[in-house]
Amino acid sequence: MKNLFKQTNALYLLLTLALSACTSVTIDQVKHVPSELKEGESIVVIGRRSGNDYETEPELISCIGKTLLKGDNPMNVIPEQEFVNRLYPWFEARTAPVHVWDLQRLLSFDDIAQIIDEYNVHYIVWVDGVTEKTRGGGSISCGLSPAGVSCFGFGTWDEKAEYEASVWDYRTKKLVGKVSSIADGTSYMPAIVIPIPLLAQVQSQACSAMANQLQSFFSNSQNQAN
Amino acid sequence: MVTIKHYIKQLLKLVPAILLLGCFSCTSTLQVEGDFPRPVIHQLPLQVAVHYQDDFRRYRYVEKSEKRSKWEIEIGNAQVALFDTVLPAMFENVVQVSNIGPQENTDIDLFFEPYVEEFQYNMPRETKVNMFEVWIKYNMKVYDGQGLLIADWILTAYGKTPTAFMKSEENALNEAMIIALRDVGAGLSLKFSHIPEINSWLNKHGQLQ
Repeated sequence: MKNLFKQTNALYLLLTLALSACTSVTIDQVKHVPSELKEGESIVVIGRRSGNDYETEPELISCIGKTLLKGDNPMNVIPEQEFVNRLYPWFEARTAPVHVWDLQRLLSFDDIAQIIDEYNVHYIVWVDGVTEKTRGGGSISCGLSPAGVSCFGFGTWDEKAEYEASVWDYRTKKLVGKVSSIADGTSYMPAIVIPIPLLAQVQSQACSAMANQLQSFFSNSQNQAN
Repeated sequence: MVTIKHYIKQLLKLVPAILLLGCFSCTSTLQVEGDFPRPVIHQLPLQVAVHYQDDFRRYRYVEKSEKRSKWEIEIGNAQVALFDTVLPAMFENVVQVSNIGPQENTDIDLFFEPYVEEFQYNMPRETKVNMFEVWIKYNMKVYDGQGLLIADWILTAYGKTPTAFMKSEENALNEAMIIALRDVGAGLSLKFSHIPEINSWLNKHGQLQ
């Protein structure tokens, strides 16, 4: 009976913590000019890698791309690495166009224009930002005991994922809008013999929010065009 | 008897921990491996001979500082692979030679010789930033067909990769190395004809459009 009470209490504690390991997401969108993604046209989602102390994670870019490929209104998304490799060395961290008007410089090379036309690219989406730990607390200690390795303690940390996507229209060489996604969350790690991570899915929430915003960005523009 | 069995069991449990502690003094070896894409650039109609010195082909960085983890990083094969991909995209014909100077039965316009001046890396625990970083300082030398030095310039390469869950230090450092090598490939292919001495030589020989 005593054991059952302890197990119920532990389960209750874990459930409470699991519920607490949630994420809040803020999204924003600015559209400067109407835009339209026609059937057969593609978009490229690329991460900015020029920051000194961070770089937009390739897995975040891949996640946004995969999410855009699914859903009611799937888009043709060209995988980042494939695009960057085909256009090497023009989209490397130190050579990539920083401003939309830099695209003119690229197009002076026929081979580059030809490759981008092959992909039928209409929009280039540059994602800049990072997911980082903002605060950490608590402590967990692990040690060797006659029963093996065992841990005890409690750890907690906050994470913030802050991303902004700039949407460039390759055809008109204009910045058509910006989409931002900020996700905050707290993760917990209680350790009673073994550590049990209760992770806040900050980056994946930021990815979903960004992808949904981009989908609405282009579907709204389709509605506007209609 | 039970006591001996008990002790053996306890010792067996300690084996992984002892191995783990022992490995703090191990040397980590990294053979840099990766693929490099062919650059999309304007090709110069030149016959170029490339000379890789043995030091360059077998370039290996060995960490000598007592304060740092022991690392041996073999870069030679990867950097030769990079130049073997980039140079044929830059020039119409590229051959490898064992020495710089007039060659029999070939009309070489330029000789190219890269050299590693300096190599540095940073691990996340050293910089307090969750980033593996690599810097390579190359000395690029270009000679005319007679073997006379035309240009000699420094090209730096930088690569970084963030730490990631379940990614080993070897994988992360390899990734940063590949990014750095791509960076030097980008710098070489895009800046080559802008080096003043090269630009002047190309102008003189009517190779600039």
